[in-house]
Amino acid sequence: MRRFLRWYGASPLHLLTLLGCFALAGYAATELLPNNAVGILVWLVGAVIGHDLILMPLYTLADRSAMAVFRHRPPKLPAVPWINYLRVPAALSGMLLLIWFPLILRLPARFPATTTLSLDPYLWHWLAVTGALFLLSAAALAWRLRTGRRGVRKGRRGVRQGHGTRT
Amino acid sequence: MKLPASPPPGPFRRSFWRSPIRGPWLTSVFGLVLLLSIPVMFVTGLLSYAAYNPDLSPVNDLTPGKGLLGLYLFSWPTHPVWLYRLNQGVHVTLGLALVSILLFKLWSVLPKLFEWPPLRSPAHALERLSLFLLVGGAVFEFVTGILNIQTWYKFPGSFYPLHFYGAWVFMAGFVVHVALKLPAMIRALRSRSLIQELRTNLARTRPEPPEAGSLVAAAPAEPTISRRGVLAFAGAGSALIALLSVGQSLGGSLRRTALLAPHGQDVSSGYGDFQINQTAASARIRPTETGAAWRLTLGSDTQVSSVPVVLRRADLLRMAQHTASLPIACVEGWSTDDQAWTGVRLRDLARLAGVPRPSSVLVKSLERGGAFRQAVLSEGQIMNPDSLLALRVNGTDLSPDHGYPARVIVPANPGVHNTKWVASLTFRS
Repeated sequence: MRRFLRWYGASPLHLLTLLGCFALAGYAATELLPNNAVGILVWLVGAVIGHDLILMPLYTLADRSAMAVFRHRPPKLPAVPWINYLRVPAALSGMLLLIWFPLILRLPARFPATTTLSLDPYLWHWLAVTGALFLLSAAALAWRLRTGRRGVRKGRRGVRQGHGTRT
Repeated sequence: MKLPASPPPGPFRRSFWRSPIRGPWLTSVFGLVLLLSIPVMFVTGLLSYAAYNPDLSPVNDLTPGKGLLGLYLFSWPTHPVWLYRLNQGVHVTLGLALVSILLFKLWSVLPKLFEWPPLRSPAHALERLSLFLLVGGAVFEFVTGILNIQTWYKFPGSFYPLHFYGAWVFMAGFVVHVALKLPAMIRALRSRSLIQELRTNLARTRPEPPEAGSLVAAAPAEPTISRRGVLAFAGAGSALIALLSVGQSLGGSLRRTALLAPHGQDVSSGYGDFQINQTAASARIRPTETGAAWRLTLGSDTQVSSVPVVLRRADLLRMAQHTASLPIACVEGWSTDDQAWTGVRLRDLARLAGVPRPSSVLVKSLERGGAFRQAVLSEGQIMNPDSLLALRVNGTDLSPDHGYPARVIVPANPGVHNTKWVASLTFRS
């Protein structure tokens, strides 16, 4: 038993659980793969790479760049976590685009003929929602700055300095 | 080849990851939401699969090799009439809303992808392989589902087998992940109080203790968002996505609120019209086939020599008419309010065909192609008094796009099994 633990690195139950998982996945895969094995494997690997090595580095880079660019801009940045008022609407708008890009970019060419619905509104709806998100965010920031300033005037208890410098 | 003991520069070093809020507690909160929601997705998905009655006939079976994965199948009920509508509304809307939670969960565990050494032991290697099934399977299921509801069929094959077998691969990875991580999740959730976190603003936000695990940054940066802020951020993403799409499943005046959903556009324009899945033109139904020359053929398998009954539309209109209020609900998640369908009961047609106690019926459409040009309905579906061969809807003749001259409408049936432009009904005893 000790030798098994040293060689395998976990208990036999761990091994059994994983083998059960692979048996089930393998059983499903024998029906899944014959459809188009190469295409499906490309999709599975592409899904992991697409998220972990493309999408995630891109949004992290965008977030850090935004902070780096605005940090060095006069006038002095407000002492509130201003980056969130940029990051939240941008991320929410980005998620909507990520989900609905086929409709927004009018990619399903047969959609209008099949459903009698138009492909035109989706781009405008997305732009309108994006605009509304940024407007709401700007209003929230303005409100936060006003109340923050009042707070500072009242008792110099203002919001903690140094926000929005790094992730 | 021996890997160096110390990690190479870049993401493999722990100092690369600076987020002060990453940690097992935050990951576990997202994990808990997914732990509760993914089973709902799986069950509604399996129910939708059962709703096609794939065991009833090879005609209905889009995944003939399912074997043990179809063991749970049962005859799909006809009550309540909104059953399929609710099931698909939940499956699709919840799935869309979970995109936000999934993205945040994946963000929270990303340093794990760059663990060093990459493979510590056989156990570690197998576990990482199961994580590939989990993450690859999850993204595969979400992407195929999301593309299918937008009718952008770019995935590598037919949607039904891909999404069905893909779900089982994903669930294999999911179950093993839950089994291995549940103790760690419970421990992490108990390490901090949720109420306390919801009361903690940015100024008082501190990293989780370094001994909590490798997700905690070794050299954390100054926080720019609190933990409650991140939870609100993820929740706002889910809520926004759901609010902009749920209208297509709720229908009525709320349909217009679905600004970003395939069937959020109002088509009623005051005439009581409603959403459709496929137009007559796109199904290549020729007007000549549906005009005066149209005939309905009623067949049966009782006597080999039996002559089929052939009816004109006028003959059907002379039979006892029944009206039923039933919705149309699509596998894609959109649905309509109840529409008043008028036509002949399927069980009356069965009797006319000489099969008063049918076990099933094969419905064939005038369509020449497509997986749903025919469907087999079960005994329960035929015998329900609200199951009709509809000739009229909302007080007028069916329009060509709604299936003129006649279409099937059965309570709680998936939309594509409510066959349009019906050409023949063959009852089996």
